[in-house]
Amino acid sequence: MGMLTAAERGYRGGRYRARSAGSRVLLYALIVAVALWLVGPFIWLFVTSVSYQRNLLARPLALIPPEVTLDNYKMILGLVRFHAEGQASKILPSMLNSLVVAGLVTVLNLVIGTTAGYAYARFRFPLKTLSLFALLFTRMLPTVVLIPAFFLMLRAAGLQNTLTGLVVAYCSFTLPFTVWIMKAYFETVPAELDKSALVDGCNRLQAYTHVVLPVSGPGLMAGGAFTFMLCWNEFIVAQVLNTKPGTTTLPPVIAGMNGQINIDYSVIAASGFLGALPAVLLVLCFQKYLVQGLTAGSVKG
Amino acid sequence: MRRPRASLRFSEARFAVFLVLPTLVAIFVVVLFPLAYSLWLSFTDVNLLRTTGPGIEILGVRVPLFRWIGLRNYLRIIDDPLYWSSLWRTLYFVGAFVLEAAVIGMGMALVLQERFGGRPVMRSLLLIPWSLSRVVVGLLWIGILDFEFGMLNGVLARLGLIDGYISFLKDGFTALNVLVSVYMWNQAPFATLLFLAGMQSISMDLYSAAEVDGAGYWQRFRYVTLPALRSVVFLVLVLATVNGFLMLDLIYVLTMGGPANDTTTLSWLGFQTTFAFFKFGPGTAILYTLTALCLLLTFVYHRLIVARFEPEG
Repeated sequence: MGMLTAAERGYRGGRYRARSAGSRVLLYALIVAVALWLVGPFIWLFVTSVSYQRNLLARPLALIPPEVTLDNYKMILGLVRFHAEGQASKILPSMLNSLVVAGLVTVLNLVIGTTAGYAYARFRFPLKTLSLFALLFTRMLPTVVLIPAFFLMLRAAGLQNTLTGLVVAYCSFTLPFTVWIMKAYFETVPAELDKSALVDGCNRLQAYTHVVLPVSGPGLMAGGAFTFMLCWNEFIVAQVLNTKPGTTTLPPVIAGMNGQINIDYSVIAASGFLGALPAVLLVLCFQKYLVQGLTAGSVKG
Repeated sequence: MRRPRASLRFSEARFAVFLVLPTLVAIFVVVLFPLAYSLWLSFTDVNLLRTTGPGIEILGVRVPLFRWIGLRNYLRIIDDPLYWSSLWRTLYFVGAFVLEAAVIGMGMALVLQERFGGRPVMRSLLLIPWSLSRVVVGLLWIGILDFEFGMLNGVLARLGLIDGYISFLKDGFTALNVLVSVYMWNQAPFATLLFLAGMQSISMDLYSAAEVDGAGYWQRFRYVTLPALRSVVFLVLVLATVNGFLMLDLIYVLTMGGPANDTTTLSWLGFQTTFAFFKFGPGTAILYTLTALCLLLTFVYHRLIVARFEPEG
């Protein structure tokens, strides 16, 4: 006892006496450098998305765009006609597909993965260690090696080029994470809570659904936000499994536009920025829970 | 006394199995079966046009089994010089990526652990590169690195640092290093988050003691911070290694394995062989050699990290 951790005293290893002027200047220079490195590229994506291509090509280059336009967004939203509108018109439907797939996978994960995480955190049962090891093992598994199998399995099941097929395939890399994150979360919920619920006459299932789950909001938000982000951003699986027009998600459509030479970069940048926004906002909204959940159930990603 | 307790345990175990069963069934169907099936495919002569013939039934779906040809796919891939050059390139890629991700990740953590106004905002910024789809990551770096409209060439030219423009993605070795750094941009923030979480639990007394002993900043880092973060550093290295082996989507968006195979890693080679040339047999064989490398690392990871910190499993 009596040992204060660095965090409790608001001290993280740097000098806690007053910094010298020189080291303060150095620190702020480094902070600015890190901030620029982290968000500069993303801000530039936004700048290009509201610029005309001719201004991006102009040399000398102006970092502050001389003209600002929403034309690129209007093009991809189908509000103005242009030569590549066939490509651009795929953006909105594919965004809807992404939303459906990511939403369904998130719900599935939260229902069955959370339940499993609770069992791993609380109970002893046969094959617990073995099945937990299997889950850890699947976390480290390259998803790409499963894709040939998914391709043939989903074709055999008639699920190729369907959103259901993608939902099935996405569970392969999301479910192990959800179980792991939720297990780590439930381990922080005191077991006395369940015990007193049992004493109060709940059965085990009620103790879980009526007592433990209602206080598990932070864990559910972390698990849900992370799952949604993974699915929203996934590219390779969707690219390979859903090749029929109209059946794929947003990342393959953006990558497809990127491969076309007749579309201006500024238009692709607009679709990239629009596509990135939901995941970025989601992560920023739930960052507190997400960071806790991820560092507790450390993760590949 | 013993009997009721035993029966209580039993019902507890039954309840627990009831809770984990849906997940375990799902994992079997979407991970373990496909994993075994892919392995089988790598020993067969896959013919995508064939629809009849032997099959195996899973959940009412008849999945085709193809003709067993033994090790022929594996012999074919190791006969290909491109396989070996891709393997060496993969090792370079992984080594460079792990080094960059760990060093930059740690560097950012050291800056962000200092006390300054707006630190929470800075920590939020960490999540931005990491929450982007790799397609968007590739796309936004094209906007910076492109030969014609890229921002970097424009800025460098304006500052008078270059005479002609640099083609970052058209020269083989440069392109490979660009891939390393772009992937690092995307992944290092996560390492930073892990480092920061580890740093929060270091006892402040250790720093005071070090300071009393006259240790400077780097000595405190070397003798207090780094030893305390040993397990986190190790975790970061292993995760970065596995992620480095698997990287695929950025190659798709930025270089397509080119120019002239100069950015073709094993995962890209396996992916192309399978899905661009539809040679499922050799393709899955390549991907399986990659998987074997990853599983080896998983084993190391489990032995050295999880086994040590979570004896319960």
